[in-house]
Amino acid sequence: MYKTEVRGALIDGDKDYKQISTDIIKPMEGRPPLWWYIALAIALIAASVGVWAIFVTVAVGIGTWGLNNSVAWGWEIINFVWWIGIGHAGTAFSIFLLILRQKWRTSINRAAEAMTVFAVICAAIFPALHMGRVWLAFYIIPYPNTRGPLWVNYNSPLFWDFAAISSYLLISASFWYLGMLPDFATIRDRTTNKLKKAIYGILAMGWNGSTHNWLRYESLAFVLGGIAAVLVVSVHSIVSTDFAVSVEPGWHATIFPPYFVVGAIFSGFAMVMTLMIIIRKLYKLGDYITDSHLTAIAKILTFISLIMGTAYLTEIFVAWYSGSNYEIHTLFKTRIFGPYAFQFWAMFICNALIPQLFWFKRIRKNIWWMFTISIFINIGMWYERFNIVVTSLAQDYLPSSWTTYNPTIVEIGVYVGTIGIFSLGVLLFFRYVPMIAISEVKSVLKVTKKTKTH
Amino acid sequence: MSTKSVVGIFEDEEKLIDALHKVKEKGIAIEEVYTPYPVFEVFEYVGKKSRIRTAAFFYGLFAAISILAFLYYTSVISWPINYGGKPFNSFPSFIIITLVLTIFSITVLSLFSFSIGAKLFPGQKAKVVDYRATDNMFVMVVEGKEGDNNEVTEILREAGALEIKEN
Repeated sequence: MYKTEVRGALIDGDKDYKQISTDIIKPMEGRPPLWWYIALAIALIAASVGVWAIFVTVAVGIGTWGLNNSVAWGWEIINFVWWIGIGHAGTAFSIFLLILRQKWRTSINRAAEAMTVFAVICAAIFPALHMGRVWLAFYIIPYPNTRGPLWVNYNSPLFWDFAAISSYLLISASFWYLGMLPDFATIRDRTTNKLKKAIYGILAMGWNGSTHNWLRYESLAFVLGGIAAVLVVSVHSIVSTDFAVSVEPGWHATIFPPYFVVGAIFSGFAMVMTLMIIIRKLYKLGDYITDSHLTAIAKILTFISLIMGTAYLTEIFVAWYSGSNYEIHTLFKTRIFGPYAFQFWAMFICNALIPQLFWFKRIRKNIWWMFTISIFINIGMWYERFNIVVTSLAQDYLPSSWTTYNPTIVEIGVYVGTIGIFSLGVLLFFRYVPMIAISEVKSVLKVTKKTKTH
Repeated sequence: MSTKSVVGIFEDEEKLIDALHKVKEKGIAIEEVYTPYPVFEVFEYVGKKSRIRTAAFFYGLFAAISILAFLYYTSVISWPINYGGKPFNSFPSFIIITLVLTIFSITVLSLFSFSIGAKLFPGQKAKVVDYRATDNMFVMVVEGKEGDNNEVTEILREAGALEIKEN
């Protein structure tokens, strides 16, 4: 049970139901603010850079990337894992907090789910391009064909990945859209603009808020929530097996699946915090995204950061304890004290140490500190993936194959492009979709009020 | 003279539930209730049930069996390939694919069930009794009687209905 007197109100200000709808729909009405246009322009430029880089990659081939025989996975896989990690927050928020009956999720889940959908779309671009001939990507689907029939290799984590990410995208998008149905109906019924009424009428698919609708809505949310909870854990476990099943020093570890899942939720929550602070500040939705919401995220981040630190130390310990020269070389001579020391320590400091600042109440309550730390975590998580992907490959068993890896401008371009696509999605979401789940916030209004008066 | 349903509009969840209770006591049928967010007590009064959860279980069972059978057929019967000496029927690695694709199938099939069951699909026109039901009002529609609806109207008014109209 959520105790308002202990944890602070979920909705500040004395609101009624109508006021909630009005407040949340407000950013969608009238002209968007100037910063929105500027951000949109920047996002479009970044996305165009991505389109150029993708065009070069497809037209010329992945020879335009800085990969070589030793480091065959570079920025693409780093960014793929990074985006998938960020994409874990939405479902983690909606599903785990739904299962745990955490009422504070209601103001945040919509934005977190939106972020998930865009992040997973960005993530999917990378492995598709990495196939080399992206127009033959459909070969990964097991369908009866004239080449044998030649089926796919079900023992390969790369195929598991494809199946898991497609399912994850489908379920996240469905869950997100399901939650929006009642809100689209609210917009449809409130607006006087005929065009808007027609568009949101189509989007609402005939929702009228009847028991007939709500009962099935609740049942479907229950079903999707239940199975998505399994998927959240399994998607990143599967991504980790891309690494863990290959006999590479630094990859071949049983800690990988939990380590990846926790890392994914960590980066996802950090991105949620970044986004919620932006929404709160720019749209003045502080009554709905209260201090207690942000503090709750900060507390979770502190806890996960401890798990991350433990995982890093466990990896180091096990490498030493194993007595394997190769493991020791990778962990100590390549990562901690070697040529990739900067990336290792950037990861360690950003993920395991900096978030510990949240132990101080002053930092946990200060929006600028929270924003800065969330950005640090996102940078740290990128470095974590760099550490895993590049350092193990750059110096493995054969010293004669040791090499270094640097990304080319095309690789950087694809990454910039995905950031552009993500920002574009988020900006359009700000403008055309209610950023906070209106119906869900209404359902917790009573809870906060009741505990206040009694 | 045709019967008309009575529509009661409430501004509060508690008042609505109170009215539902009173109407039910009198043995008058409740046709439908419209709320801005799901209210679980209302489900009980209206007495409807959804079979999506049960259906989802069987979708999952059906999907899991078919996917395992498909994997077995393709890798053992149709075109067996030796991957590093592993058995053709590599059951442990099939589990992962089965799990993930079962979730995929449940999602797709449940979405269709939802769409059909709740009658929500693109192009569907919403049957709206009162436009405020998706915003801030709780609307209940009660079956009317032949003749006049004074009795029901009185119950609704007593329970604190903001507006009462006939539909």
